[in-house]
Amino acid sequence: MATRRETLTSWLIITPFAIVLAFPFYWMLMTALRADNDLYDIEQVPFKFNADSPTLNNFRFLFEQTDYRQWLENTALIGGAVVLITLALALPAGYALARLSGGWGQTLGVAIFLTYLVPPTLLFLPLSRVVSELNLHDRLWSLILVYPSFTVPFSIWLLMGFFKTIPPELEDAALVDGASRLTTLVRVVFPLSIPGILTVVIFTFSLVVNEFVYAITFISVTEQKTISAGVPTELIRGDVFYWGALMAATLIPAIPLALLYNVFLNRFIAGFTGGAFR
Amino acid sequence: MKDRRERVDITRVDDELTRRELLRRAALGTIVLVYGSTGAKTAVAGVPKYRHKELAGTLRIIQWSHFVPAYDKWFDDVYVKRWGQANDTEVRVDHVNLAELPSRAASEVAAQRGHDLFQFLSPPAAYEDRVIALNDVVQQVERKVGKIGRVGRKSTYNPRTKKYFGFADNYVPDPVHYRADLWGEVGLRPTSWDNVLRAAPRLKSMGNPVGIGMSNELDSNMALIALLQCFGAYIQNADARITIKSKGTRDALNFMRDLYRRGMTSEVFAWTAASNNDAFLAGRLSLALNAISIARSAEQRNLRFNRDIRILPIPDGPGPRMGLEHVMGVYVIWRFAQNKRAAKKFLVDIGTQYTGHFLNSYFYNFPAFPGSVKNIPARLRRNTTYPNEVPGRYPILDRISKNWTTNVGHPGYSNAAIDEVFNKFIIPQMFARVARGDMTADEAMRAAHREMTPIFRKWRSRKKI
Amino acid sequence: MATVAAGSHGRRWHDVFEERRFLSPLLIAPAVLFIVLLVGAPLVLAVYLSLTDATAGSLTGEFVGFQNYTDAWHSENFRRALRNTIIFTLVSQAVVLVGAGVLAHALVRDFRGKWFLRFLVILPWATPVALSTVAFLWLFHPLYSVVNWTLTHDVIPGSPAFFPYKAMNWAFAREFWPEWIQISPIEPIDPPQWLGEPNLAMAAIIFAHAWRILPFATVIFIAGLASMPPEIEDAARVDGATGLKKFWYVTLPLQLPIALVALLFGIVFTATDMTVVYILTHGGPFNSTHVLTTWAFDTGINSAALGQGAAISLYLLPALALVAILMLSFARRVEVT
Repeated sequence: MATRRETLTSWLIITPFAIVLAFPFYWMLMTALRADNDLYDIEQVPFKFNADSPTLNNFRFLFEQTDYRQWLENTALIGGAVVLITLALALPAGYALARLSGGWGQTLGVAIFLTYLVPPTLLFLPLSRVVSELNLHDRLWSLILVYPSFTVPFSIWLLMGFFKTIPPELEDAALVDGASRLTTLVRVVFPLSIPGILTVVIFTFSLVVNEFVYAITFISVTEQKTISAGVPTELIRGDVFYWGALMAATLIPAIPLALLYNVFLNRFIAGFTGGAFR
Repeated sequence: MKDRRERVDITRVDDELTRRELLRRAALGTIVLVYGSTGAKTAVAGVPKYRHKELAGTLRIIQWSHFVPAYDKWFDDVYVKRWGQANDTEVRVDHVNLAELPSRAASEVAAQRGHDLFQFLSPPAAYEDRVIALNDVVQQVERKVGKIGRVGRKSTYNPRTKKYFGFADNYVPDPVHYRADLWGEVGLRPTSWDNVLRAAPRLKSMGNPVGIGMSNELDSNMALIALLQCFGAYIQNADARITIKSKGTRDALNFMRDLYRRGMTSEVFAWTAASNNDAFLAGRLSLALNAISIARSAEQRNLRFNRDIRILPIPDGPGPRMGLEHVMGVYVIWRFAQNKRAAKKFLVDIGTQYTGHFLNSYFYNFPAFPGSVKNIPARLRRNTTYPNEVPGRYPILDRISKNWTTNVGHPGYSNAAIDEVFNKFIIPQMFARVARGDMTADEAMRAAHREMTPIFRKWRSRKKI
Repeated sequence: MATVAAGSHGRRWHDVFEERRFLSPLLIAPAVLFIVLLVGAPLVLAVYLSLTDATAGSLTGEFVGFQNYTDAWHSENFRRALRNTIIFTLVSQAVVLVGAGVLAHALVRDFRGKWFLRFLVILPWATPVALSTVAFLWLFHPLYSVVNWTLTHDVIPGSPAFFPYKAMNWAFAREFWPEWIQISPIEPIDPPQWLGEPNLAMAAIIFAHAWRILPFATVIFIAGLASMPPEIEDAARVDGATGLKKFWYVTLPLQLPIALVALLFGIVFTATDMTVVYILTHGGPFNSTHVLTTWAFDTGINSAALGQGAAISLYLLPALALVAILMLSFARRVEVT
């Protein structure tokens, strides 16, 4: 534990950042809790509530009059599936590139990275052709298929860097002891790579939840949308913005996800600093 | 129900990928499989009731989320179901936000698969080659209810290829909303642009500026192009030649500059399509050009100045009094649509009998075929069930829609070049530059002309204009 | 050799696994195949489209050579978009670099309340960017902006009255400043239009980008700092390097590779992002805040000039590729093993 003085300096440094980063969420909360006549009243002091607020009307509207719950489920489902696919593809590749490929592994790594430079605003058209050929349009599967295309390169990168920090001597020791490569992978490397896996999980999930362009183009059916697609398209009707509901909709996934990431962060940093390092 | 999609042979695609995908599906477990294979749910509520009756065909429609949610409810749950029953077709309606329509359309064309009926909110002239001609549909409707209105025709017909690329079912007139109480204090009414300019400084000093957007959004585009028309200036002429450099344009630009300086605030450069609504409904703006969504919102929220909001046609200018449609619903049928026959029948039926749509949108949707709704003036005088409706406010819409509304691209047609100019916000950009003093009117006109030239050239070389 | 040691298993395919030559391609192949199919192939198609006059979603068109590229270059709006892309990316990432560096340092050691503060810092990253940008739209609303309200009202209850806008005017509305810092005096009835003035809009966009990337970069930095072997810390202390000296000579060189990676991803995510600008200003006011991605979208999709849209998007590619390769080779050289 840090000393009093260290704690104070830490707080002093971090608090301004925390305020700037978290203020919009405070504001979202305030807005989501307001009744309409409070919200659209210019004279009202924004930091106070009037007689009709705080109210849960906006949240009620969100869950009762829109398919918000369905969108949350869809997003969670897609996130989970894509995380699994990404791990399946990126773990072996990251390991191979870090360990076994020597010189040209770097070049391949760079090449894989370059795929990020193509904006989805360009790729979504040819990809929508692929999606329709596979009969996946308007289904969650279209996104589950396409999302790994941008989560996998990033994860390979993360894992590559991560595997490099695991000393090869550990594996060599196991090999000398008579284990096959496969056993080494499973028994020695895998447990050590948990922090790396957790990292990939967090980053992949956040990339999936953030994605917007593919989500609105591949799926037009309301019940199959993700929150990233559903909220801007269904809570903005023509020229009317449902601000209260919009802010509520943004707040709801943010808080649990931030809590989750925070928990994961502890685990994987512990993994970094603890663990079998010499 | 026959799901035609299932019949497509997916093994055409790279075998490796398909097999991998199958393996993955199996590996991921039953729950995910069940979820994934459930397929798209539709907007047809109450399906269980009709499940015993297998409807012969399927019709898929996509359109915008109407500003009046009650309209979508009626359309999805009442109208299409009734139509489906009568025509032995299951109709599925999907909704998408106004802003996402273009990308949705592009991706359906790229995918060569999508909905049978796609409703755009502005004439999709650029998609002419991707859709089937609807001349026969238009003729059928005209035989029953009379000719298509001028606005509808000039928006969906390409005189060069002689093709109706779209079917206009409705358009939305764009009146002026103003606060009679505030203008009353000034002693004027916004019947002419001159009056607006005269009243603006006093209104602004009262804290109630005038609000004409100059931003990259729909309302600004419409208002400013209409303003040009009122000054006798046009983007193109009847032969689709650029005519933006003209005295009328210069006058309009200078007028707007003066109006901005004397009577508006800099927020107009930041507006989204909702902003003029928000500002007017907050009690701030004294004048706005917008569809009746403002008036209806004021009624719904029962604002204290609800009764002081009046509607007028677009103010008169040195040129002809000429406004634009705010949005225009245009249905297209893709070349690759699977049920063209049902789609065409749907259009014929909707074009022939538009009364329900007119009423359920609370006068938002005006019919493109004027004969399809009988007695519009009388209907406008009658009260609807809209909460806190102000009687006597809406009858003027009839004359606005007939006399003072024209298509974007007037005096020419709404062609692909006009569409591109519109979507790149070249007109708001031109006005904003002059209003802020970044350019003189002449410089701005020339810059706009420069931006427009390659656009018109391109579409001309494609023989579309 | 490994094969001899594994001889007890005896089966053929195991030997295949042991061979380095087969194992590594086998491990990498699925990922590479996936990427080639889902990114490579569409990219090639996009390049093809940019050389044609394809319109309205069609995936074919007539070949026009480089005309789309030259046409784009002659458009003033395009050049502005190119300039904006560079400015937004560099400025926002510079802010992120410094901010994340400071934050990560402070967050790496344990102290009371760290969990809570870290939760606050992570919040922006946990929100889908489309939704948080809508929240910024609300924050910077022409009429209901809480930022403007705070600026133009007395924020200290009771006396003395303090109006932030007066402080802003006093500090920034002076002739002395260069044009891009200087502001025109703020009036209470005409508060700053964050999305309506080109400079303010650019600041708002840069802020939104920095805001959402900061937590992401901070986490990467923390990981980097946490993975520093403790022996180095001890060695540094023994050598008498503490505080700033330690930072400059020990921490910084070790963190450089990971800092570069974080910076690189930040640059890429910002430069290829369409959502923030599209939702916040849609390129306005009057097309002054367009970036390449939004201008390409307006051209290729909203205006249905697909070939041109593709060409505009691809302008970004060589520049980013160059940046990426430079940074990555630099990172490799600096890597301390």
